[in-house]
Amino acid sequence: MQISFERSGGFAGVTLRADVDVDALSAADAKRVTKMIQDADFFDLPKRLTAASPQPDRFQYKITITDKGKQKTVTTDDQTAPESLKPLIRYLNQQAHA
Amino acid sequence: MCRSKASIRQAVRPYCFIIPPYMLKEVAKREEGAMREHALESLAVSAQLRGQRAVLGLLPQAMTAFAVGGKSRNVFDAHHTEDLPGKLVRREGDKATRDKAVNEAYTYAGVTYDFYKKIFNRNSVDARGMRLDSTVHYDVNFDNAFWNGNQMVYGDGDGVIFQRFTKCLDVIGHELTHGVTQFEAGLVYRGQPGALNESFSDVFGSMIKQWRLKQKADKADWVIGEGLFTPQINGVGIRSMSNPGTAYDDPKLGKDPQPADMKHYFKGSADNYGVHINSGIPNRAFYLTAVELGGYSWDKAGKIWYVALRDRIRPSTNFAQAAQILIAVARDLYGVNSAAEKAVTKAWKAVGVL
Repeated sequence: MQISFERSGGFAGVTLRADVDVDALSAADAKRVTKMIQDADFFDLPKRLTAASPQPDRFQYKITITDKGKQKTVTTDDQTAPESLKPLIRYLNQQAHA
Repeated sequence: MCRSKASIRQAVRPYCFIIPPYMLKEVAKREEGAMREHALESLAVSAQLRGQRAVLGLLPQAMTAFAVGGKSRNVFDAHHTEDLPGKLVRREGDKATRDKAVNEAYTYAGVTYDFYKKIFNRNSVDARGMRLDSTVHYDVNFDNAFWNGNQMVYGDGDGVIFQRFTKCLDVIGHELTHGVTQFEAGLVYRGQPGALNESFSDVFGSMIKQWRLKQKADKADWVIGEGLFTPQINGVGIRSMSNPGTAYDDPKLGKDPQPADMKHYFKGSADNYGVHINSGIPNRAFYLTAVELGGYSWDKAGKIWYVALRDRIRPSTNFAQAAQILIAVARDLYGVNSAAEKAVTKAWKAVGVL
């Protein structure tokens, strides 16, 4: 399973990215990340979970997950992201870099 | 449309969905007391029905500040949670605390208030003395500051790339100007109107800093967020208004992505279609105007931009429309063929918008 993540916006407007190959993680980390994806019902989320009136300077996220031939991209932001998705966003933010 | 306060008072309540929101907003903005309350109520209800959240930004005011007040600041501490506003730690008139972030949020919100009052005779972000609320220590290692429609929110930074976001006066001026834009032009936060929204925040944030330092346009650094990066980062600040795209270049951050003209316009979908990226173009138009006119940026260039933001820019105004509006305001304020009109025109041509 592959995760591709992009964080954009924020006051500084710096775009950061992360690519995570879940199969290459340690068994414990892979289990943790897989659970975050399951808890978020990622493959059943709407493609766009974004605010109708975005609050200035908040972060936007684009997450693509590929798993066993299926692929899904979800675009969301700090204002609208469901609580169930936040642990995954937090984890990916920690992995992200320029 | 409405001839007397009494007629509006009667009309607003029963027919709240007939009166268009822009009129209700005007009533809410310009009137006081019961009429304002009714207008705000109607706005809230119709906003909920139409799923528009922007106008809800008007509401807290309705609950806290019917009377027009003066400078009033509250600073809250989120204690590293995401709960807003958090615990009230400093009110207007309270003496300084031991917490730097609290004191900076308080002091710089005050400088921003004073700038708008003294230079443009504007009483707070809503022009009606709205209390300025700030929350510091939001979340853990939070690399951001934002305006949530009602208040400012500041993170402490991660300490590796960013320091605390209250450190810079222009960052605080930037956030509060998002409030001014919300109550005036209402620029939609996406694409070109969003980049203009961002640019107005940088323009006023920069002017506020120059005003505090008593700097003339040709002496200012025109950098947004100077000192916000840790010393380990290779960069002068977050954005350069004079040379967009040159503020930083660092392995941890990449290179400053801002274009300086329309030839390098960012067309991607990231950052709400580039609101913090393409803002480099209108930012540079302001810088060029201010330097061309000389003296203090807020005297002429700032006044033109302020009057446009307050009276003429609309929610969906794009770059080309903004340029025409700013030229028209320069003409109205300083005369046909005035140095001001010529400087604004030249600036928007230089960035490739005209």
